[in-house]
Amino acid sequence: MPARDEAPTVGSVVEGVRRMLPCRVLVVDDASGDATAQAARVAGATVLRLPLGLGAWGATQAGIRYARRNGFSEVITLDADGQHQPDSVPMLRAARERSGANVVIGTCVGRLSRAKRIAWRYLRLLTGLKLTDFTSGLRLYDADAIDVLAGQEASLLDYQDVGVLMLLARSGLKITETPVTMLPRRAGRSRVFASWPVVARYMVHTTVLCLAQLDPARRRARTAGADPIC
Amino acid sequence: MLTGQITSAIIGIALAGAILFLVRRDHLHGPYALWWFAVAAATFALGVFPALITWLGRVTGIFYPPVLPIVVGLSLVLIRMLKLDIDRSKQERQIRRLTQKLAILEQELDRLGGKSSPALPDDHTP
Repeated sequence: MPARDEAPTVGSVVEGVRRMLPCRVLVVDDASGDATAQAARVAGATVLRLPLGLGAWGATQAGIRYARRNGFSEVITLDADGQHQPDSVPMLRAARERSGANVVIGTCVGRLSRAKRIAWRYLRLLTGLKLTDFTSGLRLYDADAIDVLAGQEASLLDYQDVGVLMLLARSGLKITETPVTMLPRRAGRSRVFASWPVVARYMVHTTVLCLAQLDPARRRARTAGADPIC
Repeated sequence: MLTGQITSAIIGIALAGAILFLVRRDHLHGPYALWWFAVAAATFALGVFPALITWLGRVTGIFYPPVLPIVVGLSLVLIRMLKLDIDRSKQERQIRRLTQKLAILEQELDRLGGKSSPALPDDHTP
């Protein structure tokens, strides 16, 4: 669970997850200026404190590397701001058992704004990934996905969405989605959809990333005979 | 004897090709990749269609043929800058991984209460 300045919400999210699943809850504190780490620790989470802010994906990758180093076979990520409900975590695991996918993304289609829908349609076209929500932070990664994402190649990605998903797809892993319910954010705002300049920057950045990766992705998908979904 | 058109086309295509190759090989980090994509597109366009330069010269009022040395010099500067950005991307990757590893090791240190650590599997990455 990556967290930056989420002290008001992180504790209740950690407790909620611990009630739902007998698992280790890891909060990666992305150089917060507030008491995020203490709040998470009090709620019973293990805490990694990044000395430099690496962004949501950098923090998530720190957690994935921790999981790999300590031999965990499954990682579930969720946002610390309270928009993901802990009871959707078992739904991700059920979807994984049902589909046999390496990565499960929890999406809430009704929550998507019009701007997001248009953006995602564009990204679907660009990446060839048939997904409805690219930025959802509610995800399950299995051991194969952990191996891929802990690697050097994933370290220069700035956002957890398209680059990560394309890397997974290129590695021949299967990605699936499952619908979940999400709450509006209790505090804070989306980092990606904060303002129009930020969105524009994000879209340009993502387009360049896609252009740089387009052909290898297709070639490998062809040679591996992979499912067009991933 | 090469015509000016062919020379400029070769330079433009070679530079654009080199940049595209490096961007695609994942040697360049996001914002740099965007910058170099634009440079690649510009060199390609100007190299293959030097008439664009004539047009640009007419539009801007600068029209003087013997600029080839300047173009070559600028190309070298651009190549040098490309190398700098490649190195910075590499360093950024290393800094991010070191930051993550530092946080992981710090957590292990806390858990062990500062006592000497038992042998843990190392994933051999910085």
